[in-house]
Amino acid sequence: MAKITRRSFVGIMAASTTALSMPSIAFGALPRVVVIGGGAGGATAAKYIAKDSKGAVDVTLVEASKRYYTCFFSNLYLGDFRNYGSIGHNYYGLAVNHGVNMVHEWASSVNGAEKKVYLGSGATVSYDKLVISPGIDLKFNSVNGYSPEAQSIMPHAWKSGTQVQLLKNQVKGMKKGGTFVMVPPPNPYRCPPGPYERISMIAHQFKKTNPTAKIVVLDPKNKFSKQGLFMEGWQKHYPGMIEWISADTHGGIKKINTSTMEFETDLDTFKADAASVIPAQHAGRIAMNAGVNKGDWCPIVPTSMQSQADENIYVLGDASIAKSMPKSGFSANSQAKVAANHIRGSLTGSKVFAPRFANTCWSLVATNDGIKVGANYDAKPDKINKTSGFISKTGEDSNLRKATYEESIGWYSGITSDMFS
Amino acid sequence: MKSKFVFFSIIILLLFSNKILADDKALAGADFEYGQHLSGECVTCHNSTGLGQGIPKITGMKTAVFIKKILAYKTKEKKNAVMQMVADRLGEEEINSLALYLSKTK
Ligand SMILES: Cc1cc2nc3c(=O)[nH]c(=O)nc-3n(C[C@H](O)[C@H](O)[C@H](O)COP(=O)(O)OP(=O)(O)OC[C@H]3O[C@@H](n4cnc5c(N)ncnc54)[C@H](O)[C@@H]3O)c2cc1C
Repeated sequence: MAKITRRSFVGIMAASTTALSMPSIAFGALPRVVVIGGGAGGATAAKYIAKDSKGAVDVTLVEASKRYYTCFFSNLYLGDFRNYGSIGHNYYGLAVNHGVNMVHEWASSVNGAEKKVYLGSGATVSYDKLVISPGIDLKFNSVNGYSPEAQSIMPHAWKSGTQVQLLKNQVKGMKKGGTFVMVPPPNPYRCPPGPYERISMIAHQFKKTNPTAKIVVLDPKNKFSKQGLFMEGWQKHYPGMIEWISADTHGGIKKINTSTMEFETDLDTFKADAASVIPAQHAGRIAMNAGVNKGDWCPIVPTSMQSQADENIYVLGDASIAKSMPKSGFSANSQAKVAANHIRGSLTGSKVFAPRFANTCWSLVATNDGIKVGANYDAKPDKINKTSGFISKTGEDSNLRKATYEESIGWYSGITSDMFS
Repeated sequence: MKSKFVFFSIIILLLFSNKILADDKALAGADFEYGQHLSGECVTCHNSTGLGQGIPKITGMKTAVFIKKILAYKTKEKKNAVMQMVADRLGEEEINSLALYLSKTK
């Protein structure tokens, strides 16, 4: 009964976008959940709370963009395995199928004592429980010479969208036989294998259109995720094209110059014809404004994903410190389901089940050459703990690698439909 | 504990084929709501709309078929690193609850 009324009511509200100007009494005594950030963590949380509470909880999702371009598979777009349109998703399904109130605005601050979110337009939204899943922001000055202006010359492309389009244009337009310089980020950062999958996909693009091009990787680290697997793949598919230089070998990136395209290190000065620089990262700014961070990231209670600073705020995904769980879309989606179950339980008295976390990250090295790494986690009082895991093996046969790639396509379709439909 | 359950379930499968397991009443500890909750872990990859490519659809699967497959991953007889890991931490109650929920979901 309440189900039908609630759903059709919210449908109209979402369509007319007058939700915010309505007096709060219009929502009666329904408990209110506000979610900031409609990405892997936030979209999933908003959907599951709305879907499973069947109208008993009012859910508002505050998301700056009308279209979410996934970071996952943005590397495959660089390699021409996906087109740009296929990595973009809208929020229509959340509004129409689950009655989520969509508010496309920036959340500018949070008042935890008054349980209010302030929006860029000056409007406020009140909550009983708040979910913050804003992803990352970049520490531009972590690389000397890099800046918000420099991102149009040496794109980081670490938040998907137009940055990735720009990077792809630069890769495709690079002069024949030129050098592409890539600077991966220091730990911890979103998507540990991501920079190395990107290198693979750029190499794949060069192999087709610019086979004498070189890729120089100036890494601030001495090792990286799935290293043996990537190195094996680079050797096999792109022999002689990729030079990965560890921090100990180059001695640190002293300075980059975006006008001369030079990268100064102790070892040498490298001149690029095109480049991608991915700086260090911290939790999305709104998490800092809300005061739920401790340094760069936000400590959480492992059993529920509640902030350690405020029990009415949950922090999901990249912004959280989910010790031993990598910052991935899969992780954020998994954490969102734990938080959604907990939030619903505390607002409506529904059953709260024991938390279960999981992650798997697939990467594409070349055509039909997919690799993966995954783990199960459980919640200990002080941290999220890895309980078992696996990783692809070097020397695997090509049928298995092809099946792994096909599995990743299935996963992409699965997770995006889990988030948005 | 775990291996005992696997052993026991395999014996059941061998002896009684699909007969007992096809009957929901025989699903010890099965709980629909718990199954629905647990299925959140499945639908990250197994498309909830059933349009899976590269990963099969699992909604609407008969309980006996689902249980047989999960047990085969548990014993590592069926090969897929992700599914072996998923199956590894599912106990009898979880498997039966999932089987019940998925069998009744389109
Ligand atoms: C190149 C690359 C490849 C990747 N590949 C994979 C992969 O294969 N598998 C995988 O699992 N993960 C992958 N990832 C990681 C994955 O994208 C992230 O871990 C995931 O998106 C994190 O989810 P989130 O909810 O924390 O943040 P996001 O998904 O980034 O969502 C945050 C959202 O919040 C919004 N927002 C932020 N602040 C505000 C505000 N103040 N007001 C309103 N809205 C706001 C943003 O617009 C954004 O939509 C990859 C990442 C990169 C960069």
